[in-house]
Amino acid sequence: MIWGWIMLLLPIIGALGVVVSSGRAARSLALWTSLATFGASIVAAVNFGVWGTGEFGLVSSIPWMSEVGISISIGADSVSMMLVLLTTFLMPLAVLGSWTAVNERLKEYYGWLLLIETAMIGVFLARDLVFFYVCFEFTLVPMYFLIAIYGGSGRARACVKFFLYTFTGSLIALVGFLYVAWSNMESTGQWSFDIATLTTFAAGMPLADQLWILTALVIGFAVKIPLFPVHTWLPLAHTEAPTAGSVILAGVLLKLGTYGLYRFALPMTPEAVVEWAPILGILSIVGILYAGLICWVQTDVKKLVAYSSVSHLGFCVLGIFALNPMGLQGSVLYMINHGLSTGALFFLVGMMYERYHTRDMDSIGGLAKRMPIWAFFMVFFVLASVGLPGLNGFVSEFLCLLGTFAAGESGSYPGVLGPWFAAFAALGMIVAAMYLLIMVGKIVFGSLKEPAGTDRHGLSVDLNAREITVLVPLAVLCILLGVQPWIAMDAMDGSVVEILSVYQPSEVAQQMVDAGSAWVAGSPSP
Amino acid sequence: MTAAGLVNSMVLSLLDKAPPMGVIPDTVPVAEAAVRPELWWAGLILYLPLLSLVLCGLCAAFKVKTKLPAWLTTASLLASFVVSVMLYLNHEPPGYLVPLLSWIDLSWAGGDFVANFTLYIDSLSLLWVMFVTGLGTLITFYASEYMEADLGKGYTRFFAGVSVFLFAMVALVLADNLVMLYLGWEGVGFASYWLIGYYYQRPAAVAAAKKAFIMNRIGDLGLALAIYLIWSTFGTIQYDELMVVLREGSWAESYEGWTIDVIPWFLMLAAFGKSAQIPLYVWLPDAMEGPTPVSALIHAATMVTAGIYLVARTYEFFLLSPESLHVVAWVGGLTALLAATIGMAQYDIKRIMAYSTVSQLGFMFLGLGVLSTYGAVYHVFTHAFFKAALFLTCGAIMHGFAGQLDLRKLSGLIRIPGWRITSIAMLIGCLALAGFPLTSGYFSKDAILAEAFVTQGPGFEALGWMAIFTAFLTAYYTFRVWFRVCAGKVEYEPGDEHHGDDDHGHSDGHFHPHAPRFAMNFVMAVIAIGAMVATVPYFLDTKADEALAGGWVADMVHDSTARGGLPGLDGHGQPISESGAHDHHDHDDHAHPTILGMDPHFAMYIISGVVGGLGLLLAAWLHLFRRQDADRLRAALMGRWWIAWLPRAMERKWYVDEIYIGLVRAPLWVASHLMYAFDRFLIDGVLVDGVARIPRLVARWFQPLHNGIIQSYAVTMAGGLALIALLMILFLQFWNIGGGG
Repeated sequence: MIWGWIMLLLPIIGALGVVVSSGRAARSLALWTSLATFGASIVAAVNFGVWGTGEFGLVSSIPWMSEVGISISIGADSVSMMLVLLTTFLMPLAVLGSWTAVNERLKEYYGWLLLIETAMIGVFLARDLVFFYVCFEFTLVPMYFLIAIYGGSGRARACVKFFLYTFTGSLIALVGFLYVAWSNMESTGQWSFDIATLTTFAAGMPLADQLWILTALVIGFAVKIPLFPVHTWLPLAHTEAPTAGSVILAGVLLKLGTYGLYRFALPMTPEAVVEWAPILGILSIVGILYAGLICWVQTDVKKLVAYSSVSHLGFCVLGIFALNPMGLQGSVLYMINHGLSTGALFFLVGMMYERYHTRDMDSIGGLAKRMPIWAFFMVFFVLASVGLPGLNGFVSEFLCLLGTFAAGESGSYPGVLGPWFAAFAALGMIVAAMYLLIMVGKIVFGSLKEPAGTDRHGLSVDLNAREITVLVPLAVLCILLGVQPWIAMDAMDGSVVEILSVYQPSEVAQQMVDAGSAWVAGSPSP
Repeated sequence: MTAAGLVNSMVLSLLDKAPPMGVIPDTVPVAEAAVRPELWWAGLILYLPLLSLVLCGLCAAFKVKTKLPAWLTTASLLASFVVSVMLYLNHEPPGYLVPLLSWIDLSWAGGDFVANFTLYIDSLSLLWVMFVTGLGTLITFYASEYMEADLGKGYTRFFAGVSVFLFAMVALVLADNLVMLYLGWEGVGFASYWLIGYYYQRPAAVAAAKKAFIMNRIGDLGLALAIYLIWSTFGTIQYDELMVVLREGSWAESYEGWTIDVIPWFLMLAAFGKSAQIPLYVWLPDAMEGPTPVSALIHAATMVTAGIYLVARTYEFFLLSPESLHVVAWVGGLTALLAATIGMAQYDIKRIMAYSTVSQLGFMFLGLGVLSTYGAVYHVFTHAFFKAALFLTCGAIMHGFAGQLDLRKLSGLIRIPGWRITSIAMLIGCLALAGFPLTSGYFSKDAILAEAFVTQGPGFEALGWMAIFTAFLTAYYTFRVWFRVCAGKVEYEPGDEHHGDDDHGHSDGHFHPHAPRFAMNFVMAVIAIGAMVATVPYFLDTKADEALAGGWVADMVHDSTARGGLPGLDGHGQPISESGAHDHHDHDDHAHPTILGMDPHFAMYIISGVVGGLGLLLAAWLHLFRRQDADRLRAALMGRWWIAWLPRAMERKWYVDEIYIGLVRAPLWVASHLMYAFDRFLIDGVLVDGVARIPRLVARWFQPLHNGIIQSYAVTMAGGLALIALLMILFLQFWNIGGGG
């Protein structure tokens, strides 16, 4: 369908326009382009036609290197479509949020911003493995420049580490993908990089192979998520990135990792996933608690929010490896919710930084007195992040944990996590309340403390209309997804069941029985 | 006996338990509750506080500087109360469902998870919702005057917080499933956070708010885990479905597991967090940093009773695991005693009331634990009135005396013009709290205390005597406050708070207390009358059955899920029949329980009356007639090292906060710092940067490509990518051939 291509191409065209435009016009052009892309994605969503089913919409393909089976093919299931919507929704806000924060090299800045949008949409829409990988890797380049040029004082180290770390990770994932493609070629005699074909093929490979493939994929995606212990690039990158960079990083880029697990790891290597889920579950839990406790002792607000992402995404990964519809739906919802609430938190920290030029919690305090509107939004999004029921974070966190808890006994699904995993992960609820409320207690409440010689660079004391415009849509969505989450859950229902279909005993167990292996006992197939 | 068999026999004994000699007809049928969408207007009870929140938001947006937010909130809550009463008048047991909105509704092959915004209306939820909205209305009206010093500043924020609280509390009570209850549960915690931290520029208020939220979160964790357990065991979290499953008992036939034994423990953790019991009670006294109407409404009358509600609502789970009820009883009894001893030694009257609340909540849990849900619920009901009266009078004093709360610096209020209503309202509250004969608190406390001697359980008799001793302490510390503050000769010192405007301040060198005006006086009077009238339900005839002791409240409990613990199974000269034995372990113990040879209920009327009177007299002696003696006694105690530790420890709240900080917070803090160091130096420094150094060494070979210009990275990347991909394919091919061959 045409709207998929429009979504992909609009930002590129916009980026070209930005590059040839002059100075200040760049940001308006970027804003309009991103809004147009958002509009296109809305139209695409309305005409999507396959909401709630497990099927793919927007399917379309352009031949590229047909002799080796590579094409630029796109298509989206409901989950992909939702993540596309999240991306296109956050983008205009990111542009608007950078309005006064970025004052030099505007053309480059907005150009990179629009290019990364195309890359992210490409990742979610890709139905060809090579196209997916190209987009996946290409997200690094704009982000690299956004950090390297517009970042904070430690940007040089941060951007190199960000780039090399995630690049290395995805190379390892590539190895896994290529191995699947090559095996497929061996078996069928011709190359194909069609994701559906390769997925089906990989799911039938022996356990030993699947374990290798899963290892490669998990390493690649875990770095991106980031999962403990490969998370250390994130606090650095977040702290140094400009506000819009942080928002995109937290809002969408991290989700590329969890989306990768959803799209590839789960359906490609079901037997291996069953084997490995406990280990990944433990890593997630360690991440939740470890990063949460680290948040507690931060003095830099932005670093605190960055570490909180590590902690939060632990829940997300846990939900994925619960291997049942509840956990997986909770996890997908978590991706969206985390994008909204953490994105908003980065915006808020950025707005504070623009006024005070510090993120040090010890030198700032009691801002509710000075900036009541800012304080209202800060508390609001902190509560969304903490998982207060009625706001969005709760439903997804609850479902991830419920799915994990019930994993051992959820009927037809072979969940291998269980009550203990959920119980330990749930401690993260307390830890999250601790660090976030302590942060709020320091910077929002208490007696007013402002750094000496505060220069607001022409910004109003409290938030201005533009900044409120950035935050209100996020807040509205937080409430909407908190009160009526079934809208999103009904929409993704079929896709999630489809992804998990390989775990149904009717198929998996039968294959297992046929293959003479006993996955229940956990022994690798011969 | 297998676990399943054990559970099964417990269930059977439960089913047998209900009607000895056909005394109590089974009015709660084993069927799912009817859905009655035509009662949609019941949703107004929830929507009206929400509406008032929105209106307060608009007031804030338009910078309203009048009392408009207070009137809007009061009107909304009053309407909400009226709807609740209408609902009650239309009510016929058993409970029914009123669907409002969908929320979480998942289904898949072989199961579902349904948690919608649906109201479950039965007599228990009606009882709760009526006193919550009723007291909410009154206290909001009171606050319209109390908070007037903050007009144009925090006034709107305050009433918005109250609206949020009422919404969440009503959602908690009316929920038809545990997840919606959880929404209300966390919602009231959040509202409490909001309102405790109302004076957000005071570090103590911010710290108290944070502490309340985090302590409550520990309880919430218990609730969340209980929900997971219940759902994974029974496949549903809706009350009516759960009750059907539990009452039918058929689940036990195929049940093999451990979950049923741990569910009540997690529910208990949740209840102890919200209702401030050991070990999670420490947040409640600190919560007194909030404005006093908040303390009266949230931290005395309504929110803190949510734990009692939860246990009463899920009582069937507790009955399945009797040990859990024993623990509930003991924790309640010990908390009651501990908090009473701390309350005795405090000087801040609001804190005394806070510890008294903790202590009274302990009594309620004791009631739940000794199978007197009726006593617990009745005590919730009476306590709501008399404790609200006490807090509101404390608030009036604080408001009038510039924040003065030290009972040593206030005296003879009843003789100061304008303070009569306050003093009398406080007297009524004190009498009820002390359990003075024929007051509401007297009857509700007796219903609990007597049952401690009736029900068989580990050391329940000792627990009963301990509770009686606590009742004595209660009477003492209660009247210590009243005799010090309201009686005696007129003497006072103002506090250091001037409510912003200094019109009554020290400008002329004199301090003039400003007496409460209409709104505050009116509300104090109404609630004090309510505290007296709360006796009446005890004497009302029951609709359900004449043999059911306890009047209207027992009636309400009887038609609900909490009917596992009801009076009428004993007393009235009837021995408890074999199947009615309260403890499922002691089927062979048919002895008629007695206290000192008398019927427990009758004996308790006398004992608690005497004990209350003694406490009152002691307080009168030490704090009215011979205040110097009291001071001398204290000095004498403090002068002797071998006894001085006791009053000091009581004054310092038994050092529980310090113990928590030392045992939990400090180690965790150190561990977090160590983790952060580990993260930076080991994981990031040694491992990541170490590994990163390897390619850098390799890269030296390609030095010419490394020209330092950022843009060249992209080119290098593309080239590198292609190269590595090629190598990998070759490598894999080789490896696969090698491995496969």
